[in-house]
Amino acid sequence: MGIACVAFIGPQNNPMYLRSIDPASDDLYMKLHYVIHCALDAVEEKVLLKRGPGDSQDAYLGLLYPTEDYKVYGYLTNTHVKVLLLLDDEGAVKDEAVMRVFRRLHGLYVDTASNPFHKFGLPLSSPRFDAAVDGVVSIYRGAGASQGGFMT
Amino acid sequence: MAGIPPAPSPGVVAKKPARRCAEVCLELLCAESVRLFHAKQSGPAAAAALEAVGYRVGQQLAERYTRDKPRLGDTLEIIKFVCKDFWQALFKKQVDNLKTNHRGVYVLQDNGFRWLQRLSPPAPGSDPGREEAARQLALSYLHLPCGIVRGALCHLGVICTVEADPKQMPSCTFTIRIMA
Amino acid sequence: MLRSGPTGARNAPALEQINAEVFTLTYGSIVRQLISDYEDIEEVNKQLEQMGYNMGIRLVDEFLAKAKISRCSSFRDTADVVAKQALPMFLNVTANVTNWSPDQTECSLVLTDNPLADFVELPDEYRELRYCNVLAGVVRGALEMVNMEVECRWVSDMLRGDDCYELRLKLKEHRDEKFPYKDDD
Repeated sequence: MGIACVAFIGPQNNPMYLRSIDPASDDLYMKLHYVIHCALDAVEEKVLLKRGPGDSQDAYLGLLYPTEDYKVYGYLTNTHVKVLLLLDDEGAVKDEAVMRVFRRLHGLYVDTASNPFHKFGLPLSSPRFDAAVDGVVSIYRGAGASQGGFMT
Repeated sequence: MAGIPPAPSPGVVAKKPARRCAEVCLELLCAESVRLFHAKQSGPAAAAALEAVGYRVGQQLAERYTRDKPRLGDTLEIIKFVCKDFWQALFKKQVDNLKTNHRGVYVLQDNGFRWLQRLSPPAPGSDPGREEAARQLALSYLHLPCGIVRGALCHLGVICTVEADPKQMPSCTFTIRIMA
Repeated sequence: MLRSGPTGARNAPALEQINAEVFTLTYGSIVRQLISDYEDIEEVNKQLEQMGYNMGIRLVDEFLAKAKISRCSSFRDTADVVAKQALPMFLNVTANVTNWSPDQTECSLVLTDNPLADFVELPDEYRELRYCNVLAGVVRGALEMVNMEVECRWVSDMLRGDDCYELRLKLKEHRDEKFPYKDDD
């Protein structure tokens, strides 16, 4: 799975964490910020749409929108934290596989937030979290990971 | 294939079983924190400190306890979550009674509030002085749990105040007032 | 209402259990609050130790009510009981007792699993903080109740990058009173 970028945005649309997997130039960061900004609008729309009776109220929001370079997927926690994944896969990506990444990232965030020295509302600054995100990304970068199955 | 670490099996992310500890550890920690903060500060300052301690815990527990839950909807749904799952996880039982005036005030009643169990209520027929002292002591123990409840609710998007009333120990009511 | 279950096997007395995360998070939040109230980290360390001491003197009653221990008159026996019975009873972890001094008045309690430290990442600015100091106080308080005056201090801390948690115990005085809970008579 070509994870290009992982982003966490807080309840007030405050930036919490932005990680470009490959080293990014200033230009690339600007592009990422722009994509994320649009993605947040898409998240709001999706959440409003999903409010119908009987609709499954999942954290996973699915594909928010494709841009020229990325497929942007979204996830919304009950504490209104938005997690975004920018994938640069050429081919099909299974929802299942993306969901799995989100769940792991969510778990990492919850544990980081459980650090007594964590400050809600401020950007995440945890070396442990950084390393763990790296770990998740590397697991899912394997061939076939986008399809939900894994190959070693 | 060489060089690629084995991938986790597809499916639910494995979770370690929750770590347990003796309840008495928490009881004594709470009792000590009440003593500690009241020893160095005036009543209101100590109350604020204990509430702040609880508030942070509430935010963190809101993250932990809602992690695997489907999305909570409106205010009432969130409050019901607090009355059931959250209360159960934290106080080992659900809230016994929930009332609302449908205008932003919710009253939660817990007939056996766990965190007051160690405090013995004054004997029936005690003089008012004794009763008041017992009530003040109970109130000092309630800042922390009120903070937890308020922290959780605020972190879930329900901005409010939470006030406890140890009417008849160990029975206790918690009044949530939604801020417009 | 708290003492449920029979006093079962020697190593598994039934104290009411809870999910440890509430305890861990509450302790962490207290530490945070003390830091913002006191600012001086040494003072915070002292407050944590004192808090632990007050908890320790009351924990002893809980422990002795549940544990079937025979007279425990030596410092050596006591250290073993703390490591192998008390810690498991309250925190579901064990410690090893090592590094005895030749005169048997000093030893170390070594833990690699410490519930207090779950989720904790100590920022650089709090390098001087002895985060787990409450435990040092608990041990000091508990041992005082069985007539042993000890000094407890942390010499290793995984939160600061060491490979274990090591609490150094130093016996200052052992008041020679009969241990109140005799197994004979």
